[in-house]
Amino acid sequence: MRLRLLGKYVIQTVITLTGISFIMFAITMLGTEDLARQIITGAEDAVVSQEQIDAVTRELGLDQPFFVQFGHWMLNAVQGNLGFSYMARKPVVDKILESLPATLSLAALSLFLMTLLSLPLGILSAYHRNRLPDFLIRGVTFFGISIPGFWLGLMLLWFFGLKLGLFPIVSSTIRWDTVFLPALTLAISMTAKYTRQVRSAVLEELGQDYVMGARARGMSELRILLREVLPNALLPLVTLYGLSIGSLLGGAAVVEIVFGWQGLGLLAVKAIEYRDIRLLQGIVVWIAGMYMLINMLVDLSYALLDPRLRRKEVPHE
Amino acid sequence: MNTTVKLMISAALTGAALLGLSGCGGKGAPSDTLRVGVTNFADSLEPTDNYFGWVVVRYGIGECLTRFDEQMKPQPFLAESWRVSDDGLTWTFRIRDGVAFSNGRPLTAEAAKASIERVFEKSDRATTYFTYDSIEANGQDLTIRTAMPVPGLPGILADPLFLIIDTSVTDRDYRKDGPVATGPYVVKSFSRSHASLEANPHYWGGEVPFRHLEIPSIDDPNTRALSLQSGETDLIVNVSPGDLPLFEDKGKYTISEISSLRSVLARFNVAPGHILSDQRVRDALISACDRRTYADVLLKGTFIPGGPAVPPSLDYGFNELKDPNAYDPERAARLLEEAGWKDTDGDGIREKDGQKLELNYVYYSSRAELPLFAEATQADARKVGIDIKLQSVDYNVLDGMSKRGEYDLIISNILTANTGDPEVYLNWYWKTNADGRNPQNGSGYSNAEYDALSDALAVEFDPARRRDLIIRMQQILLDDGAAIIYGYPKTNMVFSSRIEGARILPADYYWITKDIRPAGL
Repeated sequence: MRLRLLGKYVIQTVITLTGISFIMFAITMLGTEDLARQIITGAEDAVVSQEQIDAVTRELGLDQPFFVQFGHWMLNAVQGNLGFSYMARKPVVDKILESLPATLSLAALSLFLMTLLSLPLGILSAYHRNRLPDFLIRGVTFFGISIPGFWLGLMLLWFFGLKLGLFPIVSSTIRWDTVFLPALTLAISMTAKYTRQVRSAVLEELGQDYVMGARARGMSELRILLREVLPNALLPLVTLYGLSIGSLLGGAAVVEIVFGWQGLGLLAVKAIEYRDIRLLQGIVVWIAGMYMLINMLVDLSYALLDPRLRRKEVPHE
Repeated sequence: MNTTVKLMISAALTGAALLGLSGCGGKGAPSDTLRVGVTNFADSLEPTDNYFGWVVVRYGIGECLTRFDEQMKPQPFLAESWRVSDDGLTWTFRIRDGVAFSNGRPLTAEAAKASIERVFEKSDRATTYFTYDSIEANGQDLTIRTAMPVPGLPGILADPLFLIIDTSVTDRDYRKDGPVATGPYVVKSFSRSHASLEANPHYWGGEVPFRHLEIPSIDDPNTRALSLQSGETDLIVNVSPGDLPLFEDKGKYTISEISSLRSVLARFNVAPGHILSDQRVRDALISACDRRTYADVLLKGTFIPGGPAVPPSLDYGFNELKDPNAYDPERAARLLEEAGWKDTDGDGIREKDGQKLELNYVYYSSRAELPLFAEATQADARKVGIDIKLQSVDYNVLDGMSKRGEYDLIISNILTANTGDPEVYLNWYWKTNADGRNPQNGSGYSNAEYDALSDALAVEFDPARRRDLIIRMQQILLDDGAAIIYGYPKTNMVFSSRIEGARILPADYYWITKDIRPAGL
């Protein structure tokens, strides 16, 4: 059964990735009449000779029909070759791998900070429903959701970096002190979202009969919270968590630009700026692949986390 | 319960606070270290790849035979002098005595020859600048023979593509460690995000002022400005206009600013059948545009107001040229009347033979100033009875539209002369597209005198005569009202009072030089 399920996922993934690749390829190649000149001059709008334009057009096969170009690209892509980045003069796969440590460390720390903040805040808000702490927390989360990331990032840099001097402003290397402010920027907006989700999930569980039953049996509130309520309340959050991980693994462009954090988001922006379409295509496929992988893991994790789903599997065996 | 929750919250907050406090500032570098905040596009220091040679020169690692001065004229650098034969085919460069590579090996004409030949082996771009028949080395004399005259060769050799490296070094990864060259600094480690360099012990130009050089890549201009304010960098390149007032305190900072090599201009479609084929309408439209206000107010002084096609950073007669279409809205209205455009129905827009005076203006938004210029033109044109319809397009389709002439006005921000000479730029936009030989000129603009001057320029060696030809070509463009030249963006670097000697030049290659030293040295 598990194998069949896995097989289904793999087939789904292949079909979806092919579709995404096609759409992405079509969009990036459409309306690029003078792609060769733009590839040569990158972000600079400079005049270049027709010979140079012709050479690059030939080199990249841009004079071939669209489907031939797409076919070539797909054939290489399935062999793990996503093409050559014109901007970096190295394989696209290498460029993506280079950006991974920055992206992973930022994603991990921001998720950690978000969990550290949103769980207690969400629970507190639920336990004090419609009382002062709840209003305060909801008010703050409302602002947290509304604040644009680039502004928050700059303000954190200004306050913690320039005014207090606690953190460096330049984050060009991956270190504990350089990753903290970008991670906090991401964590604050995510925390605002998650605190509200945790609150409503905990509220829903608190109203369940089993909580009343547990209290009647004299179980301590801490035990009820940790052993009974939290596991049930967190289940619906797993999907949201998965989506957040997927999005973080695709890079957080705005925050990465502000902090100069060399992750995938910044790489994608650079690829657009320099019209490096092969790199851009590679990044899009990577992001799509990550989303699908995380979604699959989330689906599979339900079976582990929710005993009801495990039991449902039995009659099919 | 409440106690538990409170405990959890305090744990979380304490954790966050601890994380916060654990950060360390990293300010105040030792006085023998120079820290420069830049934007960097290069992943590699191989000078023949892409435009990566720019970074090798910018970071003070490599140098060329010649270098551009503040007027973009080639000056001696590793070559102390040069001469060209009477037939214009043989150039002899005298290599400076006493120059050594960073490994101590002396720079000879033989080494320079090998370096230039390597560029031709490895880069496709080299042959688009010039091709040679032979290169010979004799002591310190380097002789380059070309089949066709190459009037701009000294300027071409100032392009970082042709920076001189020690090709005898083979056990080195140029991409990561950089080439062995003659600049004041040598690479300790390099990545796109951060470069660490050290003083070159064999530097020919005297003792290098800093022992260490750290170059973090900070892409966001606001963050770059913050890094200078916080003292984490001593020098930053390209501060955004909005941030410049932060550095007005002359006791703490110095701003070095100059007109770049770019022009922002809107070309006119003058092909038959287009409204702008009538010169009076073109002149009227240019006269209606208050370019000084655009530069000073709209662009907050970050532009120099436009006039001639070539920016004032290049010595091609900026101050001698006469713009017949200076700002004069009354003249604009008069010219339109003369051309038969009158507002007969009182709606503020002029008509002629039942046709409204309506123009289609194509722009793109990826450069922030372009929509501003477009909208300002629209507003000013309306005051004299011209209705401009703005059409925003993606940058990717701009060239195609420009070649096919699908516009009345089309704006661009263009680099006019990266080898110090605007010949390609002037031909590209305005030389007659006879038999499709100059497809970039889709405007229908054609002037026989202009074409003749362009042909003469192609074979003219003498710098003074070239300058004269280019000035005459520009005057024709001004007299013909061929385009609105809006202005020329300025470029800048800002540095703290900790250092001195930094200076921005129009060629975007010279950021870190031996002249940058600790203040008071």
